[in-house]
Amino acid sequence: MDYYLQQLVIGLSLGMVYALVAIGFTLIFGVLNVVNFAHGEIYTIGAFAGLLLFVSFAPPLVVVLLVVLAVGALTGVGLERFAFKPFRRFNDEATLKSRAMREATLMSSLALSIVAREGIELVFGSQFQSLPLQHMLNSPIKIGPVTIVDGDLIIFGTSFLMLAGLQFVLKHTSVGLSIRAVSNNALGARYVGIDTDRTIAWTFAVGSGMGAVAGILVGLYYGAIFPAMGFTPGIKAFVAMVMGGLSSIPGAVICALIIGISEALSSIFVSSVWQDLVAYAFLIITLIFFPRGIFGGARERV
Amino acid sequence: MNASDTTSRRWLWTGLILTGLFVIVPLLLSLAGRSYFYQIANTIMIFALLAASMHLVTGVAGLLQLGHAAFYGIGGYGAALLATHFKLSFAATIPLAGLMAALIAFLVAVPTMRLVSIYFAVATLGIGQMLHVITLNWVAVTKGPNGILLFGGMKLFDIDFSKPVPAYYLVAVIVAACVYVIHRLSHSYYGNALRALREDDQCADAMGINTPRLKLESFTVSGFFAGVAGALWAHTAGYISPADFNFNVSILILSMVVLGGLGSLPGSILGAIILIGLPEVLREFKAGDFRNIIIGVVLFGVILFQPRGLIGEVSALDFIRNQFGLGRKARSDGKQMRVGWL
Repeated sequence: MDYYLQQLVIGLSLGMVYALVAIGFTLIFGVLNVVNFAHGEIYTIGAFAGLLLFVSFAPPLVVVLLVVLAVGALTGVGLERFAFKPFRRFNDEATLKSRAMREATLMSSLALSIVAREGIELVFGSQFQSLPLQHMLNSPIKIGPVTIVDGDLIIFGTSFLMLAGLQFVLKHTSVGLSIRAVSNNALGARYVGIDTDRTIAWTFAVGSGMGAVAGILVGLYYGAIFPAMGFTPGIKAFVAMVMGGLSSIPGAVICALIIGISEALSSIFVSSVWQDLVAYAFLIITLIFFPRGIFGGARERV
Repeated sequence: MNASDTTSRRWLWTGLILTGLFVIVPLLLSLAGRSYFYQIANTIMIFALLAASMHLVTGVAGLLQLGHAAFYGIGGYGAALLATHFKLSFAATIPLAGLMAALIAFLVAVPTMRLVSIYFAVATLGIGQMLHVITLNWVAVTKGPNGILLFGGMKLFDIDFSKPVPAYYLVAVIVAACVYVIHRLSHSYYGNALRALREDDQCADAMGINTPRLKLESFTVSGFFAGVAGALWAHTAGYISPADFNFNVSILILSMVVLGGLGSLPGSILGAIILIGLPEVLREFKAGDFRNIIIGVVLFGVILFQPRGLIGEVSALDFIRNQFGLGRKARSDGKQMRVGWL
């Protein structure tokens, strides 16, 4: 029983991380209707930025998280400028939602993600980076029968703070208002005078910042920072987005938690090398049986 | 130009390509005289077949495929396991490996065929990853990350096909035959139906084309050829491991098709020659480490600056222009509006 509880805690913190990554996907899909394939690399870049910071200045964790948030946001804006903006020359609705547009940006972000990953690999090498032990988040804490590590608590805390912050930004600031307006109806938002390009840049900043923080949190939790680390979480976050109904943030968060917990619990029954299959199976099942997401959010043809 | 001119030109081109493939390249290779060059030539031909098979499904039928390496891998593992476990002759394993890949492609395609655009792309990506995880971890059958070694045994009619020259001719003949079949498929009424699917699947549906069935067929056929390519790779390389068939390989094949131009068979093959050949040429300048970066940069540059590819028949952005009549319109200040950077 204790073991189950323990796995549940691990699953929850895993799911929280997927949720942070999935929110970036969902926000970007909401405003642009495209998949950002380089989102996983933002996660990697966040982890490496945090690693560099720890090795060179060893600041307290809060500072690192804030800096990583900023680095992620800046990288996201840069990514938008290079991989998405050049394809957004026309502003009629049909073009913004066309299939060609989506596939072109999908491939351009994919190409940039290869460049980013291989670039990191050239500089740092493809092996795991060694992290100073005292920075790792794995000192055990006993709560009743369950032993968790402080990393679990920090991941919970940070994720809750960021989710609350996101909710605040979306609901109570003018940037959030324009993000919601553009994702509701890009053309309408433009007609009422919202600067859509700016809003899209802001969306990338917010989403990528959260993805980057997720990267450094996982890096510290598992002590595994390497150039290809962003690929699998990226796919799993994408699965969470599709399951949650594409543009619904609460849906994506709940599905990310479901995926995280199922993965952790699956390791009770099968060897942990197979746990990646859980997310892929979820993806295929969702796409085939619930193409509109399990909460029925999507409004278009999938 | 009258019809006989076209026909004679076509014969001229066919003759040139076949002479190049079967006479000039082997001559050059034997002059260079290093078996390493034969290996590169084989790799180029195998990837040309892979790019051609992806061309059928992505370029002609317009289904973005992100898991092509999975079918390549099924072919490779199928051939290797049939040859090592069941002691089948290599000549039998090649078509059998293709059939295995086609069967899996068919099974994959049945449930996913109703998905469109990126959802289909992501479903193929997910399935490709699943197969990769399985080959990596099903150690009892696939020997996991250690891979499988194939010992010689490539003998048929007293010719030892593990020697460089016969191996080259074996690969060249099979690849040429497969590419010819793909060529005939994509330049026929059947290919035109697939193109209709690519341009607008709802419209094609409305005109009475059975779109799910076409998608199913093109996907299965493409899987077959990818499987044949995998079998050729397993036999010529003599060793396969899951790393030969991971996501990066899918992207590499996709880059070849995009670089050459979506919808163009010669373009896909040219893309394969460039993307496999270029890193080998650059190896002289110690650029081997940059191989994947080069692929990323090339893919990005092509999408941004030359979305039609080198010799493509459609470009993503031209499609928009034609569709909405916007791109070519002169602006009021006399400048042409362009898609792309500024």
